[in-house]
Amino acid sequence: MSRWLAEVLAVAGKDLRTEFRTRVALNALALFALTTLAAVSYTIGPYRLSAEDRPFLLSVLLWIVIFFAALAGLDRSFVKEEESHTAGLLRLAAAPTVVWAGKLVYNLVLILVLMAILAPLFCVLMGFEIVMPWRFVAVLAAGGFGLAVTTTIVAAIIAQAMTRGALFSVLSLPLLLPLLIFLIQGTTAVSTGDLATWSASLRAVLSMAGVMTVVSALLFPVVWRD
Amino acid sequence: MVPPVSAGISITFDDVAKRYDLRVIFRAVSGRVDPGEVLLITGPNGSGKSTLLAILCGLLRPTRGVVRYRRDGGDEVSREEWRRHLGVVAPSMAVYEELTALENLGFYSRVRGLDLPIAIQRGLLERVGLDPDRTTPVRGFSTGMAQRLKIAQALLHDPEVLLLDEPSSNLDPAGQDWLEDQIGALVADGRTVVLATNDRREMTWGSRRVSLAG
Repeated sequence: MSRWLAEVLAVAGKDLRTEFRTRVALNALALFALTTLAAVSYTIGPYRLSAEDRPFLLSVLLWIVIFFAALAGLDRSFVKEEESHTAGLLRLAAAPTVVWAGKLVYNLVLILVLMAILAPLFCVLMGFEIVMPWRFVAVLAAGGFGLAVTTTIVAAIIAQAMTRGALFSVLSLPLLLPLLIFLIQGTTAVSTGDLATWSASLRAVLSMAGVMTVVSALLFPVVWRD
Repeated sequence: MVPPVSAGISITFDDVAKRYDLRVIFRAVSGRVDPGEVLLITGPNGSGKSTLLAILCGLLRPTRGVVRYRRDGGDEVSREEWRRHLGVVAPSMAVYEELTALENLGFYSRVRGLDLPIAIQRGLLERVGLDPDRTTPVRGFSTGMAQRLKIAQALLHDPEVLLLDEPSSNLDPAGQDWLEDQIGALVADGRTVVLATNDRREMTWGSRRVSLAG
């Protein structure tokens, strides 16, 4: 294993270990996701939507639940370092790219854990029929990466702000909106069996996540150090 | 492992000023410290001692002036390389409260690319007076024990330069004696130490002084 990767995994491992001991972000993610899912399944349930509208509307609902749960829990990675005054030593101990990649891995693990629990529950409770399950997993994985990479850099930016408040949501929303549109398209496609739309949507999601990864990697050292 | 340094590192800062918007913290501060010396930064509360230390760390940029880190041979040390040779203890910089002392040292060791054997990490904890077998997270430590862990963290990578902000605060008399001996040994070994303090005892450890007016 390369030294850089070992350092990245050290940051991610430390964050996961502290998170599993405090469960602040996990609780926020899980509570928001499960409350929203319970409300949606109670009010709409598996039978209230017409068969024609189901794939699209259920895709929208699924990504709304994932998106807002991500906003509720993924802002903690950098804010916690600043609030607990551990950011200073981390800045001195680790290279900026190591910190960025470590936090990205941590956020990715959280969002993937959330999706692994939420997506099957959603499909069962809402009666959301997926005709291409592995392609659905690919959409979720690509979406998870896109969400993680975007929320990681936004979390780093807002951690430096004096008044954080709703800044995380305000900054994340315009960056994530195009991603969400393609994720909804891709999820609708795996429900209807539209392979061409799935393929185009996945490519768009991966492209956006790729661009965001490059921009974040270039921007993060400036945000973190200055 | 951090590559061995052939010579110590000196710090020179010239005409350094720091201002936040219209609030001037200090202006036109200059000084120098060479390997084998302790530079004291003194001044009343609010005079900017910790701010100057953060500037010397490279964590803050001065509003004006320059800070240079040079090896004895005269080569300048880059900002990226600088952090590898720097150990810091400051009240504003905490270790992770959710981790144990040994987990903290393990993390800083891995993230610095050292991957020190566990025996060395345990030895360092014993050296600063902490029990390496203690499984309590740092949250359950007394302030003195947490301070000892911060000192262990600063010494972990055997740094050429130590920047210390009131390092003996919260330490008991035995801890203060131990710290004085450690700093004496490090200075005798050619390390560079910068010490921000108002403590009468710590002020006797220095060979040079920069006084901030406040």
